[in-house]
Amino acid sequence: MKTDELRKRATEAKNKKAEYGDDIDLDEYSLSSDHGRMSSLDDLSESDRELVKDVGFDPSEDKVAGSFIQFDNESILADVLMAQEGLEVLPLAEALTKYNFLKDYLWNAVPVDADKYTARSELVDYNGYFIRAKARARIEMPVQSCLIMKKDQSLQNVHNIVIAEEGSELHIITGCATPSSVEQSLHLGISEFYVKRKARLTFTMVHRWNEKTDVRPRSATVVEEGGTYISSYAILSPLRSIQTFPKVHLRGRNAKADLYSVVYGSQNSVYDIGGLLSLEAPKTQGKVVSRSIATDTSRIIARGDLVGLSGETKARLECDGLLISSGASIRAVPMLHAMAEGAELSHEATVGKVGAEQLSYLMSRGLDEEEATSLIIRGFVKLKVPDLPPALQSSIDEAIRLSLEGGM
Amino acid sequence: MCSNLLETRDLRVEVGGVPILSGVDMAFESGKVYAVLGPNASGKSTLAKTIMGLPDYKVIGGDILLEGESILSKNISERARLGIAYAFQTPPPISGVKLEDFICRICPDYQCKAETDHFMSESCMCSHELYEDFDRLGIGNLAQRDLNDGFSGGESKRSELFQVLSMRPRIMFLDEPDSGLDYDSLKIVGRELKAIREKGDVTLVIISHHRYVLEFLEVDKVYILKNGRVAYTGDMNDIPVLEEKGYERFLAEVLG
Repeated sequence: MKTDELRKRATEAKNKKAEYGDDIDLDEYSLSSDHGRMSSLDDLSESDRELVKDVGFDPSEDKVAGSFIQFDNESILADVLMAQEGLEVLPLAEALTKYNFLKDYLWNAVPVDADKYTARSELVDYNGYFIRAKARARIEMPVQSCLIMKKDQSLQNVHNIVIAEEGSELHIITGCATPSSVEQSLHLGISEFYVKRKARLTFTMVHRWNEKTDVRPRSATVVEEGGTYISSYAILSPLRSIQTFPKVHLRGRNAKADLYSVVYGSQNSVYDIGGLLSLEAPKTQGKVVSRSIATDTSRIIARGDLVGLSGETKARLECDGLLISSGASIRAVPMLHAMAEGAELSHEATVGKVGAEQLSYLMSRGLDEEEATSLIIRGFVKLKVPDLPPALQSSIDEAIRLSLEGGM
Repeated sequence: MCSNLLETRDLRVEVGGVPILSGVDMAFESGKVYAVLGPNASGKSTLAKTIMGLPDYKVIGGDILLEGESILSKNISERARLGIAYAFQTPPPISGVKLEDFICRICPDYQCKAETDHFMSESCMCSHELYEDFDRLGIGNLAQRDLNDGFSGGESKRSELFQVLSMRPRIMFLDEPDSGLDYDSLKIVGRELKAIREKGDVTLVIISHHRYVLEFLEVDKVYILKNGRVAYTGDMNDIPVLEEKGYERFLAEVLG
């Protein structure tokens, strides 16, 4: 799409409210811009190093294929380790000048005029990552990325594009964080994922914001014939509000997608988190699995939407909530929408408290009530993602462990 | 001289407002083996669950003494730490908690000594002896599974027995350790119980309504409960008679 056309559509959608979530006055935020790209991870300050580690980023780069770090709106590191043939990690701004074809991917999965946040994202400067696995490249080690907001009263505007080309395999782990000292900030993140024929992409994201941050990510994925997309998302920190509803379009026959999420709600935070799976070709399948724990006075809305646009398709929604405070709330909103004969859609949603029987059982093994409760909750939030490489699974486990230690 | 490890005195218990135990006096000595028998709904499980301190079992009269001290004011964890253990009949599933990790957590003996070498992963919390012991009870296949999640009847019994043993209790209550077991599982459980008896450092209370598992080990004392009371106290020799006659006739005859 032409730039002027995008601008025009974005301008028109400038005040378009989002379908879900509290409305945010975008005029309160200015775009922060800062310059200076780091040449190496050794230049990270000690406190930044700790911060990125908390969201699963390994500054030693021992077990990764590549790394990307962005502070506010300036990318400071984009690095591919030498041995990784067929992997590309670039700041998006740089990639857009380098590759003309990228114009076809920019704002293709996510419409620029979806709402005021996508519009705003286009109308101000943005950066983010471009990660690509070339055709048939199997990148077994994950690519790690980290997006940090450090400026007060500011807007972080990220646009990411990921392409897993035909027959490739790519694993990405992304951590997003704000240090606790930052006052009022807004994170807008556009992510567009393209999984080509028979490619396999796993995307793992861990969020750790502070209680003065609003977060409005917008992401969408297009999966072609025989492709697989697995997304796992964990948010375990308090924040002011988050609203996100990633959409996955299974466009080609036999395409498959699984979306997993874990939300640990605390303080006065508001979480409106969902996922949509659109089955657009025969033999496509997938599931949306979410687990929510609400403590303090947090409010969680867990949405899941399955849309069957083609026959011979199958998808499932699982949505479980654990409410452990009377001041908190969980609303599970499962939606099934079948528009073709032979679309098999199902859901299961539960909300409850820590079971008395489970508690007694664990206490009878010598744990005190607090230890038993914490063990049940830790078990409940454990994000078990089948088929995830062990390195990634342990990154998630570790990030969840660290987050819970901070909050419990 | 009183050598009782644990005793109940005139113990009266209600569950949801319904009286279940109406004055139970029982005594358990250190290192001995007891069978608590009785027809369905006689209060056998209630007795064990009350001694463990489970929340729905309300003591409305009498006392439970451990070495002469009342434990009524102690909660479940405290009782567990005092050395009381209860193997559940149908343990609840705990998702996200692996059996092996749990056992290493509740039993320091199995914890890996070289823990500091592996700061990241949970899988090195356990030592090798654990797996050998798992194999002895035939539950090696459950090690990586979530606790009680989808365990079969026999698997549950063996895993419960394993956990309760790991805690090194002073007195353990096994709630129908033989129900739902196939012959092979029964043999494994029976052999394990026999080994415990031979070591003689733990008091074993086996709750059952038949004799299967009791064929594997010598029982010092048999209590028969009926309608929430101890109807008869006897020994090993009563068991075959009991099996032949059934509770109804047996009790009618011995009680005249």
